[in-house]
Amino acid sequence: MTNLEIGLWSFPVLLALIFVRVPIGLSMLIVGVLGNYFVRGSFTPILAQFKDLSFSTFSAYSLSIIPLFLLMGQFAALGGMSQSLFKAAATWLGHRKGGVAMAAVGACAGFGAICGSSLATAATMGQVALPELKRYGYSGALATGTLAAGGTLGILIPPSVILVIYAILAEQNIAKLFVAAFVPGILAAIGYMIAISIYVRLKPDSAGSRPRASYRERFAALMGVWPVLMVFFLVVGGIYFGWFTPTEAAAIGAVGTGVIALLNGGLTRKTFIEAILVTASATAMIFLIVFGANVYNAFLALSQLPQEAAAFVTAQGFNPWLVLFIILAFYMVFGCVMDSLSMILLTIPIFFPIVSALDFGLPPAEFGLWFGILVLIVVEVGLITPPVGMNLFIINNMAKGTSMLETYKGVLPFVISDVIRVVILTAFPVISLFVVRWLF
Amino acid sequence: MLASIGKWVEGLVKAVAILGGIVLSAIALMTAVSIAGRALIDFGLRPVPGDFELVEAGTAFVVTAFLPWCQLRRGHASVSILTDIFGNRANLVIDLLADLLLLIAAIVMTWRHFYGLLDKQAYGETTFILQFPLWWAYAFCMVGLITWVIAGLWSVIADIGLLKRNQIRVEDAGAIH
Repeated sequence: MTNLEIGLWSFPVLLALIFVRVPIGLSMLIVGVLGNYFVRGSFTPILAQFKDLSFSTFSAYSLSIIPLFLLMGQFAALGGMSQSLFKAAATWLGHRKGGVAMAAVGACAGFGAICGSSLATAATMGQVALPELKRYGYSGALATGTLAAGGTLGILIPPSVILVIYAILAEQNIAKLFVAAFVPGILAAIGYMIAISIYVRLKPDSAGSRPRASYRERFAALMGVWPVLMVFFLVVGGIYFGWFTPTEAAAIGAVGTGVIALLNGGLTRKTFIEAILVTASATAMIFLIVFGANVYNAFLALSQLPQEAAAFVTAQGFNPWLVLFIILAFYMVFGCVMDSLSMILLTIPIFFPIVSALDFGLPPAEFGLWFGILVLIVVEVGLITPPVGMNLFIINNMAKGTSMLETYKGVLPFVISDVIRVVILTAFPVISLFVVRWLF
Repeated sequence: MLASIGKWVEGLVKAVAILGGIVLSAIALMTAVSIAGRALIDFGLRPVPGDFELVEAGTAFVVTAFLPWCQLRRGHASVSILTDIFGNRANLVIDLLADLLLLIAAIVMTWRHFYGLLDKQAYGETTFILQFPLWWAYAFCMVGLITWVIAGLWSVIADIGLLKRNQIRVEDAGAIH
């Protein structure tokens, strides 16, 4: 077998392992080690690498941002910021048709600005907004669909753990990626609000109404969100303006949200330990995947497969847009069953060389940003597409008395909104890029 | 007997994870202090020397300290769309095999890491700024890694027990990211 064939054979083996429920990171690790053995004909080189690989992966400065962002998200959840965000959004939007659901989306967007994780955003905002939505007569389908979709704003609006990983894999600038993600993230929130307003007009009995709040109440509620704004400006602003590295920003964010939670009385010994344990599980999960992907991708590079694949696709003279369409469609389909982070770690080392070799009329630096944003969105759609969207499970589990089928139906308008947004952002790269061009 | 071992393992794993969390919080605090020092350099303050070296060594410990907890809580991301249609027994067998593979991975990683530690000690490699021996950082990681092996061993034993009794398996909560 040639090295290239070994590389190709690794895919079916890897997929078989993943689909019999072997943890994804472990599957990549196993196939990577075995593939390395077949290419080199011996276990010695890989075992020698393993002497330092654990430490070098786990101590990588660029990756240290991940546990810090996760801890920050947990502290943010404890600090009562989700309540004040929702309250502010509800006083401004609540009286409209479907307004409380729109407020939930707005609050998710606000929380997404201080939390880099989708599931944490969905879970935190779900706790606050689900009871309120029920109180104002919103149907279970709309309520759960709204929050599952709103949760994805946690990762679409910077900071974002997935973007950090993409930046490392595709060798892109994290600050620029965060800037590029900002406008598409806001568009996502607006798109979801439009989806809600259409939904409640088609199904008027799915939403009740909330009395209009006076402007005095509105501004009072707005004052309550200043800690969120402060943390956001410090963290994301600090990265944008180059005051500190992304890791330092995440550390400041964790300390900032921790202090706010402490002042609000949300951070006690008990909740601190809970926050740590959730952070622990998520961190270890991500690092096992990163470790496995490191080993697997090193093996793929050894087999020459990514280079050959890129050369092959370019030589065929395929239409670049068709290739891009196929890749995005692939992410959407696989996203229905696979975890978004694993998908990115698994595919970017193969897809990125292929698409970078094609001409989309953009300079290489801008192409990397634009492609990253597109990939980020399509993998996030996977979190809310049936049957296995993680956000759907989390929210449905919190909403007692709403069947999974209702949640599936309720999230549909949001998925449609996502697909429309992907088409728009693909057709007009300038939407993702103009702020980057303006700032840098 | 077995139940008390299980309790002991869970207690150990939880303690190590909490220790990791405390170190993570300390990293965040130290970094914040360092940035404040850098910002106020005109007022005679200064950043923490070698702060990023501490972040790196600290994060490596944090991650290894978190691995056992994730293992015990079945927090690793996996795809269950196909296996959901299998019966309970088949899924118990899969759990056992997956945990066995994870245990092997943990053992190999710990074993090789230990040799890495010995190398670093033999060559007397130190960090660039603080000049502390790199093997210290490796040694801290051994704590987490050995706990991971213990957790992995316990998971396999627990899986065998479940399989013997053909107990209905419960899906643990996935991780949040």
